[in-house]
Amino acid sequence: MLLEDAKIVAHEIMGDPESGMRRLVLRSEIAAEALPGQFVQLKVSTGLDPLLRRPISIAGVDQDKKEITLLYRLKGKGTKMLAQAKIGNVLNLLGPLGHGFTVPQNGTLYLVAGGIGAFPLLPLAQEAVKKGLEVCLCWGGENQGFFESAGLHLWQALGIDIQVSTMDGSMGIRGNVLDILNNYEFAKTAQVAVCGPMVMMAAVNEFFVKTDFVVEASLEERMGCGVGACLGCVCTLQDEQGKLRRGKVCKDGPVFKAKEVVWNAAL
Amino acid sequence: MQPSKSALKTVNTEVKLGPLTLRNPVITASGTYGFGEEYAPLCPVERLGGITLKGITPEPRLGNPVPRLAETPSGLLNSVGLENPGLKEFMTTYLPKVRKLPTAAIANISGFCVEDYIHMARSLRKESGLAAIEVNISCPNVKHGGMHFGTDPASAEQVIAAVKAETDLPVIAKLSPNVTSIVAMAQAAARGGADIISLINTLLGMSIDIEKQRPVLANVMGGLSGPAVRPVAVRMVWEVAQAVGIPIIGMGGILSWEDAVEFLLAGASAVSIGTGNFVNPLAPLRVIEGIEEYCLRHGVSAVSELTGLAWKEN
Repeated sequence: MLLEDAKIVAHEIMGDPESGMRRLVLRSEIAAEALPGQFVQLKVSTGLDPLLRRPISIAGVDQDKKEITLLYRLKGKGTKMLAQAKIGNVLNLLGPLGHGFTVPQNGTLYLVAGGIGAFPLLPLAQEAVKKGLEVCLCWGGENQGFFESAGLHLWQALGIDIQVSTMDGSMGIRGNVLDILNNYEFAKTAQVAVCGPMVMMAAVNEFFVKTDFVVEASLEERMGCGVGACLGCVCTLQDEQGKLRRGKVCKDGPVFKAKEVVWNAAL
Repeated sequence: MQPSKSALKTVNTEVKLGPLTLRNPVITASGTYGFGEEYAPLCPVERLGGITLKGITPEPRLGNPVPRLAETPSGLLNSVGLENPGLKEFMTTYLPKVRKLPTAAIANISGFCVEDYIHMARSLRKESGLAAIEVNISCPNVKHGGMHFGTDPASAEQVIAAVKAETDLPVIAKLSPNVTSIVAMAQAAARGGADIISLINTLLGMSIDIEKQRPVLANVMGGLSGPAVRPVAVRMVWEVAQAVGIPIIGMGGILSWEDAVEFLLAGASAVSIGTGNFVNPLAPLRVIEGIEEYCLRHGVSAVSELTGLAWKEN
């Protein structure tokens, strides 16, 4: 875990400017330590508003160049301020943080993404491809424009099987990512990694319950410290005996075994 | 410790808060620093004056549902709801590690009735290796979560006296700012036998998501912390320090050494950093260094001499 001022080496709009997607590359010693599924906490301004750091998943690592890539979508005050940062500026980074994905040793790896949930899956895919594993991405998005702005080309460069769905049918299957899964022929043994909205991940977990696949899910929650100290970003977990406990999304996660997550927790 | 640039003299950073001696006046606040392990890779624990541990209750608690956090201008609302492993698990799993921390470790206890506090105070004595007990009579996030003790002077006095009777550790009364008269509460804590007073806990507040037209926090209301509350905290330290003779740990929105010095001048003998750790995990170190440099610059040989300088007669 490092705390450092990292220099911006690239910061650009991805695809359609209206989509609000950004690619940010930082020169960072974090590159030497980062594992797939981990994230950084980034200070978007030196001022007091917004006060807290912003958690952003690591979407790419170049150990030789000591660079990490973050992909993000403009949403609130924090990301809008971050978008103002220029090449050559420094941003204060805390990371790498959290418990990431398990990289399988063999077999097939299915990646299931909803919207910008694809971003943290990218380093996992790269790692798995490097190991010579069979990798398939099932990715649901709004429309064709979304995929063009959300880095589809980065996935295509990996040479893996890519299945997409769009709500308007402008690309791939019409429907959501479950409609892809329902029509897909799966290998006998495989591992699954999923990231997207909570309802989508809950449905994907449900879908794979009947298989022996280990499903890992990357959760999102409003974070405070990012290191497990403040208990702001918890999820509810359940062991095999049904005993409930809290998991810290920032430290125990963001990646959890999907079957342990209580998806409809309102307690 | 780094030598000062002038190297003409050094500053004595040690502070004595009644029976509690700290190597320097900078502590981390309860609920922001876990049980002392989380920030250790970033901020050297041996440089801290002390760590206040996450609040514990007699029984384990899952705490409140999420969202537990809401950011506000220069502030943070939280409603964690005293999630903690409970006294038993604390004693067996966490205390052995806490004892090894190379700094003063201060336990923080919360209860729902006087008996809860008594039960915990009995287990937390000098032989536990702790430096002090902070009694949270001010949690705003749990129904009857100590807040009752924190808003009624007679109850506050009663609970502090009960803890004091059960433990040989220094007792710190942590006060809530959500009262009409902070001085009345501080005087009650003093009557109960508190060795030290810490203030302020968070200010009760809320935030509404205008698109969803619902409160942001699952618990609706939460405690406000961060720089937004600092002027309120400084004012309360100022008032309490002049009204009550026992030492004060001041807190509320400290991010920099300048903020900390303000609290010392207002009458605090030590300061706590809470939300500031989330913004800059090195904040406690920077504050310690900054206070030392400030003392050198002002020809002050001991940090303890700063306490109350803003109102004391020369």
